[in-house]
This record gives sequence, C-alpha cells and structure tokens, in this order.
Amino acid sequence: MSTTAVLLRNETLKLRKRLAFWVTMGFFAFIQVVSYGEEYFDARKDPEETFALPAAWSQIMSDESMISVIFGAVVLILLVSTEFTWRTARQNVIDGLSKTEWFWGKAALLPIVGAIFILSQIVIGGGSALAGTDLAAMQGAIVGATFFQALGGFFLAFFVMGSLALAVALAIRSSGAAMAAWFAWIGFGERLVALGLGRLFEGLRTALGYLPFGTSLKLLDYDAFDPAAYQRAVEAAEAAGRAVSDPVAVGTASLVAVGWIVLFVGVSYVWFRRRDL
Amino acid sequence: MSSDAHRAPDGLIIETAGLTKRFRKTLAVDGISFEVERGQVFGFLGPNGSGKTTTIGMLLGIIRPTGGGFRLFGGDSPEEIHSARQRIGATLETPNFYPYLSCRDNLRIAANVKGKGAADIDEVLEVVGLTKRRKTKFKACSLGMKQRLALAATMLGDPELIILDEPANGLDPEGMREIRHIIHDLADRGKTIFLSSHLLGEVERTCTHVAIIQLGRLIRQASVAEITSGTVSVGLRAGDDLGALETIAGEYPRAVSVRVHEDRVIVELEEDDFASLNRFVAGRGVYLSYLAREQRTLEDVFMEVTGATESGFGEVQ
Repeated sequence: MSTTAVLLRNETLKLRKRLAFWVTMGFFAFIQVVSYGEEYFDARKDPEETFALPAAWSQIMSDESMISVIFGAVVLILLVSTEFTWRTARQNVIDGLSKTEWFWGKAALLPIVGAIFILSQIVIGGGSALAGTDLAAMQGAIVGATFFQALGGFFLAFFVMGSLALAVALAIRSSGAAMAAWFAWIGFGERLVALGLGRLFEGLRTALGYLPFGTSLKLLDYDAFDPAAYQRAVEAAEAAGRAVSDPVAVGTASLVAVGWIVLFVGVSYVWFRRRDL
Repeated sequence: MSSDAHRAPDGLIIETAGLTKRFRKTLAVDGISFEVERGQVFGFLGPNGSGKTTTIGMLLGIIRPTGGGFRLFGGDSPEEIHSARQRIGATLETPNFYPYLSCRDNLRIAANVKGKGAADIDEVLEVVGLTKRRKTKFKACSLGMKQRLALAATMLGDPELIILDEPANGLDPEGMREIRHIIHDLADRGKTIFLSSHLLGEVERTCTHVAIIQLGRLIRQASVAEITSGTVSVGLRAGDDLGALETIAGEYPRAVSVRVHEDRVIVELEEDDFASLNRFVAGRGVYLSYLAREQRTLEDVFMEVTGATESGFGEVQ
C-alpha cells in the first residue's frame, strides 16, 4: 500500500468513527434542510418567490455558504488538534510515519472535509430547488459553466479558511483555543487588521479587501461568476437609487486565495516540522 | 556521528554519542553516550525527570536533538534512521491511542502504517490477551488493558527492537507479572528490548543490561550481573547499639564501606570471608547475634550511584 493510500485509509477510518464529526455533520445538515426547506415552501406559497433550478444556484451558492466553511473548519480543528491532546500524532510518528507524511495526512483532510460539506450543501440545496423545479418548463441545463466556476470558487474559499484552521490547530494544538482563535479572526480580527492598516496606509485599502476572510467572501458570491447576474444587480441597484458596487475580480480573488492557501499550508508545515511532538 | 569509518558493528542496535537536548534554559539530556547490542534486554533507569523519555523521544524522531547524534541499526543518515524506525516497535510514556476507537481499530491505524494486515492484528491481540476485548473502545479500557494494547501495538510487524517506556506504570502486581512474562517471551524470541522504568525490582528481574541516568547525564552502564556483583556485603546485628557496631566494623581492615540500614549494619567487604570479620568483631568484645550475606540489588546500586550524584550535582528529583 502506498503512503498516500495509508494516510487516506487512516484518516477516513478516524473520520468515519468519530462521533463529533457525525454530530457536527448532522447539525449542519439539519440547518441546511430547514433553510432550503423554507425557501422551497415559501416559493410554493408565494408565486412572486422563485426557488427553482438553475436560477436557484445563485441563492444556494451565495455568501451564506460561509456556514459550510465554518462547520468544515470546526471539524478540521477538531480532527487535527486532538491528535496532540491524545498524543496520537506522536504515536503515529513512532509507528513509522515521518513527520512530513503525518502532516500531509492532515492536509489531505482539507479536500476531504471540504468535499463533504460543500457537496452536502449542493445536494440538500439543489435537491430542495429541484423539487420545486418544473423540469418541462426549465430553461437551460440544471448545471452550466457558471455553476462549475462558482463551485471552484466555493472550494477555494473553503481551502483558504480551512488552511487557516489547519495552521491554527497545528500551532495551538488545543481544540478550544484553536477554535477561539479562528472565530476571533473571522469575527473581528480581520476587520481590526484591515481598519488599522487601512488608516496607516491609505493605498492599501483595496488590497486589504483580500485578507483571507474577505477573499473567501468574494469567492462565495455566485453572481461574481455570472456577468448577466451582475448586470441584473446593477440595474436593480440603479432603479432603486442605490450605489452600484464594483464587480468582484474573480481572477484576482482566485490568485490571492491560492496564495493564502500556499502560505497557510507552508507555514503550518515548517512550524510543525520544527516543533517536537 | 557522521563518519563512515565509525560505522557500528552489526551487533549494535542503538548507539548514541553525546546526545543532547536543551529546552530553552533547561538541559534535559546532557551528552549521553551508550550502546545497546542485539538481543539485550536493556534497562534505562533514572529518577523522574532525569531525561529518560526525552532520550527515547530523540531516538524515535519525535524530539529533535540539539547536540550529538545516534545510530539505529548502524545507520545515522535521515533516510537510514527513517528506514531503521520501521524495524522498531515503541510506546512512549502513557499508551497513546484514539479514545473513540476500539482496541482493534486502534491497532488497524498502526498496522496500516506498518504495512500489516488483519492476521497480524489478531495475533498480537491474542498474545496480550485482548482478543475478547478487541471491540472495547480505548476510553473504556482499564489501565492494564491500555498498557497491554500499547504492548500489542509495539509488537505489530514483528519488530527487531522494542522500546517500552514505563510499561508497568499504574499496573497492579498481577498486571506487572503479565507484562514481565510478555517481555520475557519477547526476549526469548531474540528481540532486543529497550525498557525504561523506575521500578527497579522489575528491571532487575527482566533486564540483562542497564544504564542509569540522572539529571540528563549517564552515570553508569553495565550488565545487571556486573552491576550487582563486585564487592560482597554482609549484615550484622549485636544488641541495640548499632552505632558502636558500625564503629567496630569500620575498623576492620578489609571493609570497603560500612553503613547502618534499618536494624543492622551493612559491611561491604573486599572478599567473601565472613568468619574473619566475625573473629575481628568478637576480638573487640562484641558478639554478633546476626550475620548474613546481603544480596546487593539493583536498587542498592541505583541508590548508591544516584546518591553520589546527589552530593556532586545537586538535588535528586
């Protein structure tokens, strides 16, 4: 068995048998069912409301998708930091994994956990919208290019915040403290940093919109991947006399996201390698 | 230890040279050098906080040395050390397992890493007597079961070197006896065993060789037979005045050392000639009511050598 296969086998075994994972997953699924169920029933009651595919993707894959990112990050922190509490990270290395292999086993959780939460949201949200879709009258395919682009953005956004969670869990090595640090960052830390640096360096204001959480939010905007949707939003804003926001620079946000992921994973790796277990 | 000219002979499984670990201001391990040969049951002794676990941690790759080096199975390059670790089964301090997984699933994790399968897991579960409890979650295991599971994990993959750090910690006498039997069985199968413990009686019964460390320094390394032999000790008693008897015994020309221990005076002699000592004491008007050979135990030696260090280097932890 290759090392990659060993790592995946062990990580999935631990994940499958972890009650905390299933409880988190169950709670997440419950919230999703309630949320999209409400959309579905609202649309059935009120003809003005629509919740049907493919248009519903912009409601499903909106910035509310941050809930998947949050749940996923919590699970990641739980999975990683407890390895230090239980000293199983140490035992895994004693059993024969190198520290590098152990680290990549944890890094592999990023796409695994990401896929679980993102696809759950797509399935529950998409399923609810599909139930309210008149397939005979539907215009266009259920999923198109925009869907896949937005899905890519969703994954990138997850990886940014997930790799931050990984870094925090590896650095702090305690679930509670790591979660507190991660939530503090998304709750107010990033805003404070942006505010402070923005006051000091006026020229940085645009760039400060690309801090990790801000970058993730940009990539969680379905309409950013759909020029027609943006045009509709502009028209609606103009009609209402509201200011029109600039379109999200998806390319820039994606590149910055990749940068954050590389930075967080890289720093975690170096930090982990240097420290004793 | 990077010179090929200094490559260890085949029989040397562990060889450390000036191995050192400093945690900021604390020097946990101070230039330790020792050797473990193939087939030895090697006791690594020292008081709590003496640097035993740190030393083992460095050998196992979970703690980075800050000085010196070591060879495992004759290799000292990172690749050789990593490959050598595949031939080692070890546990460090407490048994470290996933509390929510069963005994068997915990062994699956280790078995996957070691490239072993279900048959190997069943075999080690049988050896440590956990077959019937294989589905019990680790968090529900008694301390004895946890220690046995740790021993099972070390045996997975039939390693050549088994490193056990305090394997009898917290066990009742029956549990200790079981662990001792397993260790003896492993030794009989030709395994090299590196056993860290502060249960000196257990070590004496189990080990062929020992190294004693204190405050991060190696004080002594020898075979158990060698370390407990040497001079001959005899216990004396005559009335209640142990002080007077100690003084008289101290005048005996062949006495190496004299001390009061519990209700008797222990005299260390150059040679096994108790009759001569008895005559010497009687010649000074004292008639012994008790004279018996004192078996020198590993504990005696440990107390002596760490006591010597106590006066020389500071407090004993």
